[in-house]
Amino acid sequence: MERVRARDADAFEALYDRYHRLVYGVALRVLSDAPSAEDVTQAIFMKLWTNPSIFTVGNFSAWIVRVARNRALDALRARAARPEEELPQTLCAEDALEDAALAQIDAQTLRSALAQLPEEQRRLIELGFFGGVTHHEMARTTGVPLGTVKTRIRSGLRRLRAALDGVVSV
Amino acid sequence: MISHDEMLDNVAIYALGALPPAEAAAVAAHLQTCAECRREYELLRPAVTAAGASAQADAGASPSPLLKARLMREVRDQTRTIRRTPMWGVYLAAAACVAFAIGAVLTNLSLHNRQAQQSALISDLTAANAKHYRFAGGEVVVHDGRLYIAMHALPPPPAGKVYQAWTLPKGSHRMTPEQTFMPSGSGPTIVEVPVSSATVAAVAVSVEPLGGSKQPTSKPIALAVL
Repeated sequence: MERVRARDADAFEALYDRYHRLVYGVALRVLSDAPSAEDVTQAIFMKLWTNPSIFTVGNFSAWIVRVARNRALDALRARAARPEEELPQTLCAEDALEDAALAQIDAQTLRSALAQLPEEQRRLIELGFFGGVTHHEMARTTGVPLGTVKTRIRSGLRRLRAALDGVVSV
Repeated sequence: MISHDEMLDNVAIYALGALPPAEAAAVAAHLQTCAECRREYELLRPAVTAAGASAQADAGASPSPLLKARLMREVRDQTRTIRRTPMWGVYLAAAACVAFAIGAVLTNLSLHNRQAQQSALISDLTAANAKHYRFAGGEVVVHDGRLYIAMHALPPPPAGKVYQAWTLPKGSHRMTPEQTFMPSGSGPTIVEVPVSSATVAAVAVSVEPLGGSKQPTSKPIALAVL
């Protein structure tokens, strides 16, 4: 990112090559529409080029996953005429596992780890991340009590974290 | 007032990004003062990232290469407004190599004509108002309606293969086959594509069987959207 900030087009191209499938994949999962996912991908990378200061410090992989998710959700909400939010600033926490998880594990392994969660936990996690659904909405639409929704999400994330610990040497 | 156990559940929902704004703000404020909840957040956040990253597109489901071409054209255009065209020096310094590269297509021309064409080519490539559409390993240069593909340090193709240029006419969805060519050795390989640049929407290069193909049989190794 330092080289991108210095307006190095080759560095930007390398950044695109490294992360475009991640951004596009998250956007496609949220939007279920390839042209719209490409629009989101283009918007994010163009924003990174024109205003690289939107990412300051921290974990770039974690940041761009959330940016892709939030931008794609914005695109969904735009259909309901909600205003777009700005790209989020960098997340505050540093976590070596987060870098390691994305650097060492391919998406297939991550999908396998997710698939090993109990269905009721995985579904809520996916609804929250890719669907942009709040826990209140999850409880309402699934008929599961709010407290149970919360517990399942927390338990599922803890299981997923433990699964990552099992395959990543930190 | 919620219990601390409930707050820990809310921290998980917050990490997932599934809390309404008011509740998210309350958790964010709480994280500033509660070490236990902060540890929980930092424990769970990588799991959320991993859940998101599990959606990474496989190589076969990547976005169109035209997306990258569009992005990089805009990026290169912006950098060109900041600095002088960086390839000028390379082309001038590699004039001898350029002459070698075009030698094959000029062998039937008289020495006089050859020198004139060589001068015109170098003039086009280094013109201040030439447009440069870069891709990894080279660029397409357009000047005065003429269109060139410049490949830097192009390796020899596999045995029985050649490189082939393609153009996408404006308004068309089918690539038009252009000439085949081989690398020029150690210098840049310059190929003039015999079409008017005004009629072309994109230029590509692929590896094809000897003699060339009517339709691309492999993914392009270079693609530039004009």
